[in-house]
Amino acid sequence: MAGADDESGVREEFLSEAQEIVETLSRDLLLLDESQKAGRSDPDLLNDIFRAVHTLKGLAGMFGLPSLQTLAHTLENLLDDLRLGRVDLTQDTLDILFDGIERIQQILASGDQSTAHDISDLEKSIDRVADATLITEARDPLKDYALGDNVLGVLTEYEEHRLRQNVSQGMPLYRLRVSFGLSSIDTALEELKTRARSLAELITFLPSMNGGGDEEVIDLEVLLASNSEFEVLREALVTGNAVLELVPRKSAQPQRVEIERPKAGQQRAMHAEAAERRTAQTAAPSQAGAGEPVEPVESTQPETRTHTPAQPTAAMDRVGADALSLRSVANTVRVNIQKLDHLMNVVGELAIVRSAVSQITERLRTHPELRYLSTELHRIARGFERNLTELQDGILDVRMVPLGQVFDKLARVVRQAARDARKEIRLEVKGSETEVDKLIVEELSDPLMHLIRNAIDHGIESVDRRLELGKPSIGVISLYAYQKGNHVVIEVVDDGAGMDPARLTRRAVERGIIDADEAREMSRDDVLNLIFLPGFSTTDRITDLSGRGVGMDVVKTNISKLGGVIDIRSEVGKGTSVNITLPITLAIISALVIRVGGQTYAIPLANVQEALLLDARSIRTVEGREVMTLRGGTLPLCRIRELFKLGDNLEVGRASRQFVVVSQLGARRIGLVVDMLLGQQDIVIKALGKSLRNVRGFSGATDLGDQSVTLVLDTPQILEEVLASGDRRGAEAAS
Amino acid sequence: MSRMLPSMVPGVVRDAEGKARSDDVAYEFLAFKLGTETYALPLAGVQEILKPPRITRVPRASHEILGIVSVRGRVTTVIDLRRRLRVPEGPIDKNTRVLLVEAGNEVLGMLVDAVMQVYRLYEDEVELASAVGGDMNEYVMGIGRPRAVRTLGRSTSQDRSDPNDILILLHAEPLLRR
Repeated sequence: MAGADDESGVREEFLSEAQEIVETLSRDLLLLDESQKAGRSDPDLLNDIFRAVHTLKGLAGMFGLPSLQTLAHTLENLLDDLRLGRVDLTQDTLDILFDGIERIQQILASGDQSTAHDISDLEKSIDRVADATLITEARDPLKDYALGDNVLGVLTEYEEHRLRQNVSQGMPLYRLRVSFGLSSIDTALEELKTRARSLAELITFLPSMNGGGDEEVIDLEVLLASNSEFEVLREALVTGNAVLELVPRKSAQPQRVEIERPKAGQQRAMHAEAAERRTAQTAAPSQAGAGEPVEPVESTQPETRTHTPAQPTAAMDRVGADALSLRSVANTVRVNIQKLDHLMNVVGELAIVRSAVSQITERLRTHPELRYLSTELHRIARGFERNLTELQDGILDVRMVPLGQVFDKLARVVRQAARDARKEIRLEVKGSETEVDKLIVEELSDPLMHLIRNAIDHGIESVDRRLELGKPSIGVISLYAYQKGNHVVIEVVDDGAGMDPARLTRRAVERGIIDADEAREMSRDDVLNLIFLPGFSTTDRITDLSGRGVGMDVVKTNISKLGGVIDIRSEVGKGTSVNITLPITLAIISALVIRVGGQTYAIPLANVQEALLLDARSIRTVEGREVMTLRGGTLPLCRIRELFKLGDNLEVGRASRQFVVVSQLGARRIGLVVDMLLGQQDIVIKALGKSLRNVRGFSGATDLGDQSVTLVLDTPQILEEVLASGDRRGAEAAS
Repeated sequence: MSRMLPSMVPGVVRDAEGKARSDDVAYEFLAFKLGTETYALPLAGVQEILKPPRITRVPRASHEILGIVSVRGRVTTVIDLRRRLRVPEGPIDKNTRVLLVEAGNEVLGMLVDAVMQVYRLYEDEVELASAVGGDMNEYVMGIGRPRAVRTLGRSTSQDRSDPNDILILLHAEPLLRR
């Protein structure tokens, strides 16, 4: 048994690590997609992706998942070819990579990871892309530069590719000669790389031979490409005896050189040779000092301030910044969320200890001779409390993850779905750094995915239709997140066709959800909320995207389960906006503590709109149900005492006074009638045991610190229940 | 006859005395009172014995569920075993206890009138429900007929029990099912 546990632990560890890699991968791929569209290549990013796939392959091998290993290997080869410029980065290539990620995720998600996964179709697409790549190039731009064969000849394939790429983009080349002491060369080199990172791309560094013959010093020749100004570069890179110079172009070079790019395999062998040669050279730099000197570079006067940045777009800067922020992610620990729940329980226990201590303090105070002890204890208890609060906040903070985790997944969905639907769609994301409880993030991806698919499928019009309407051809779906007090708001906005209230009501009447009279009386908001009712779907066309029987009612249920509220606004021709308001954490929430029928209950404040004194005279009955008028509207009432069949245990002296807690779910409201409002308190919600899963009306229980447990009301569920039973009664009365 | 027993009872105990017995395998049970009858649950499944804490009623839960309590921060359901087994209810007094029992992925509190002692039963002291026959509930594992000398633990009045005393041996898991 212990063995099985170990194994599943290891497996879980692998899965979570693999999942993390896949998440980073898809984020990087999206960045790559973006930069490809902007018409630039981003070698660092491509390298990161290549390395991530490589790591995944290694992991798969270690955990004996041959299908994943093969898939990763295939992708790795493609990425290697991309990296070395043997295959061009196009939208088709990106499609293959996205498809690859999708498949990796499928393999990870399927319980049985050992079964073979057919990737022959993927391989075929890769071959197609590789064949499409031109294998000839009009002219070798490298010939324009004063670089000797002794430099070009020792470049690795990758270095040569980067050199070519930079040159063809018009990046000026520089050569930096530096000398490092043999003992400190590693650190010095790292330091140089760090300094150069933001300014230039280091293409290669080659040991060069100096005549000095000092065995303790190695002279290096660093080749770098940069569009920074010469002075800036010099300032940043030149220290000590280093020399920076521009690699000049050979001015007149009219003849065209047709070169053929060798096929991949051939080229690999060639460069392996070159790399070998260079390794030998590096291994014996001091002996080489006596040998053939490197061809001196034709030094010219360094050109200063003549190079303006070629095309650094804002998009590229952003790509760079994001890539940088990813690097710091590695400095993290993965923790099972149950461990955090356990810590939270311990904190709860400590809170009980704290209240016991303060009770003792109070008792000590009544003994005059012990008063000094009481004061002392009080002071200590206060310090304890402060630390406890900090501990609690700390644990909550650890549970928080950025919404970007879901948004990245959605960006992939949008890309794929838009291509499938042949619509042009741009996804605009803002606020992906907004943090939410891990559990909420997990539960959010399905509802959000559904909303986005709806927007693509039903919202955004086809390109032709948009042009007809005078709208920009590219539809925009925006995903915004921001924090608002103790809540997080997520907006899904599209600039598509919007929803037609007339069509919605017609459909609802057709489906028998409402009758014609009701339809006439409905407010605009009520009409829009019809889409959240089970069995409502406005399109007869079942599409691959959204017509899979999962309706908006499921979206709404999922959001309410998280203690969230969903709102919808729409304007015909202009678009639809769905607004989701969620609590930041499920672990700790603000609640209204009430008493009714001699029992204490907590109501999450997220579900409370207001609380007011019940005026018995304002109660009316409509079809056997109690309602009251609240600011001109009708508010159905629910007496908790009757709903829960509690005793007539009225609080002494308060018999005549009762309160109404107004709770809202979407567009519907209900007034819960209770005996007393005890106040507001932050509570930690704990799940009820399996034995109580059939009991409706409670979302959990909490310790209020007085050694007894208090049930937390599930107001959305109570509201559904009460209103549904009212509808039934109404229907019976009508028939 | 009782070959089924080992699979039903966790925590098999070897008899240290090694007496002249055909079968030296013994099983430990915790005995408790419900009304006038004596019941027992496999000891290995009992995690803790608590004095009854303040129990919070859960409206709309079935009649057998007394409510919930917090045991070291974990919300635990407490069922009234007397109601579950249809035994007349006595008052909650100083002998009343709550057993924390693991039953089907959940730790459940079970309210009993009094906790008695641990019995070590050999196979020939157990009659399986299937062998006894009749309409036994599925949560009844069998009948235990301990010989007085085999009792463990502190000396209580139960030590010299009537040889006619019987224990109703229970399965924890079906008690939870409904």
